[in-house]
Amino acid sequence: MNKWKSKQPVTIKPFRRPSLAGDGYGGRALFFLSRAITNIRQNVFVNVVTIGTITLALLIVSLFLLIFVNLENAAENWSERVQVTVYFDRELTPQDQTSFRGKISALSGVSRVSYVSRDEALKRFKSRLRGQETLLEGVRPEVLPTSLEITLKRTHRDTVTVESFVTTLKRIPGITEVQYGEEWVRRFNSFLNFMRLVGALLGGFLIIAVIFIVSNTIKLTIYSRRDELEVMSLVGATRFFIKAPFLLEGLIQGLAGAMISTLLLFGFFEGFLQNAGSFITFNPTTSGLSFLPGEYIAGILLAGAVLGFIGSLTSLKRFISV
Amino acid sequence: MIQLHNVSLAYQQDASALNNVNLSIGKGEFVFLTGSSGAGKTSLLRLLYGALTPNRGEVLIDGQNISHLSASQIPLLRRTIGVVFQDFKLLQNRTVFENVAITLEVLGWGRADIGKKTMHILKQMGIESKYNLSPQRLSGGEQQRVALARALVNDPKILLADEPTGNLDDANKNQILTIFKEANIRGTTVVVATHDRRLIEQSHKRLITLFKGEIVEQVEKQTASDDQTF
Repeated sequence: MNKWKSKQPVTIKPFRRPSLAGDGYGGRALFFLSRAITNIRQNVFVNVVTIGTITLALLIVSLFLLIFVNLENAAENWSERVQVTVYFDRELTPQDQTSFRGKISALSGVSRVSYVSRDEALKRFKSRLRGQETLLEGVRPEVLPTSLEITLKRTHRDTVTVESFVTTLKRIPGITEVQYGEEWVRRFNSFLNFMRLVGALLGGFLIIAVIFIVSNTIKLTIYSRRDELEVMSLVGATRFFIKAPFLLEGLIQGLAGAMISTLLLFGFFEGFLQNAGSFITFNPTTSGLSFLPGEYIAGILLAGAVLGFIGSLTSLKRFISV
Repeated sequence: MIQLHNVSLAYQQDASALNNVNLSIGKGEFVFLTGSSGAGKTSLLRLLYGALTPNRGEVLIDGQNISHLSASQIPLLRRTIGVVFQDFKLLQNRTVFENVAITLEVLGWGRADIGKKTMHILKQMGIESKYNLSPQRLSGGEQQRVALARALVNDPKILLADEPTGNLDDANKNQILTIFKEANIRGTTVVVATHDRRLIEQSHKRLITLFKGEIVEQVEKQTASDDQTF
């Protein structure tokens, strides 16, 4: 520093910051923030364009997320049907029931075991043939098997786990006949995997497109203000001093865009989607879609802020050559 | 204050902008750089405020070699140098006051002091009543005075001007020249690049003529008494 010092007295020491009012880190931070807000007010059009682009981009991504989350929920409901049934050709005594339940529940992945007696089985049979009960005339409960129905935990519903579960189940003495709708489980799981793959691919493309569009918009808006960068650099502003207000501006733009897009999505959801979703779930008991969970919304807000910040950072790098 | 030793500068391999230039400008001097377009005036000025680095040779400002400054040192150099251009380089979306205050904001001055100092220099330039206008609404001469206010508000050691009167009429040229001379009297070293012969002749200052990147002529200050008129 001293090597720059002029021998003659100079009224202002050129590059040491005078400690005047509003100095210190807090003063600096406040200065940058007020500079960023003034910049936004002085460049309304450019800011509206940037915030609009970020809003639309994040709206597309969050709409996609909303659909994806609801499809996952629907799949969750469908997978309840993955059930393993053990058949017996005799009515189980209460002691037998307890002992089988105990042995089966001890296996990993079991969420619920319920006993279906012959009477219960006949009742179900009848309800399935509603309107054609005459077909069942003369059918007595004794001809139907009794069974234990085993529901598996969510994490144990894929093909491989179900198959290995059945193998273990068959080792329990007294259990001979086991059914679990092999074909259905297999198809359901391959459908689920396919859906996730397509989702990941589409989501990936979407995110790349969004990053591309947003970063180019920010680049253009900063390009339109390159004279500001040039003047700042001419009067001796450090890179940090030039960049900080722009970065804060990017952060504010990103957050604002994310908030607006979340609000728009919520309005859209409340207005149209909420009650129109039963066709996706195919399940009358869970009619309607659910909105994005809190952590997704936090994620979108964070993504907006990061998008604005990183977009500004990379664009500034191109235009600040000192 | 300013010394150039065997400085050569080439934008591309074949075309050289400056060729083996040796130059010494003392503290508090007032110098005109002249020459036809492409003679190297602008390149020389750009070397002095660190916008370019020479391919060969050394540039010294106040005894400090600035030929190989790092990116973080260049702002420190520029805080001691004021620069004005033919196209003024004012920010149209800020007021006259804000355009001038930038220099002091960069130095980290407090709000109240920036206000006082900025209004003071605007008054010196005779444009204090226009402080809240956009530069677009000022005449060319007034805009150049805003640019000069921005360059001079922190009392720089050196003032560099690149064709400062290129866009101005005679009355405004004289006003701008007066401001240069006043800054010079207060101790600022002034280097003005221009091909305005009349401006050079009426101010009787040291004159350096460039031709194709080389110094071809140096005329020392003609009469010492001229300075006393200001």
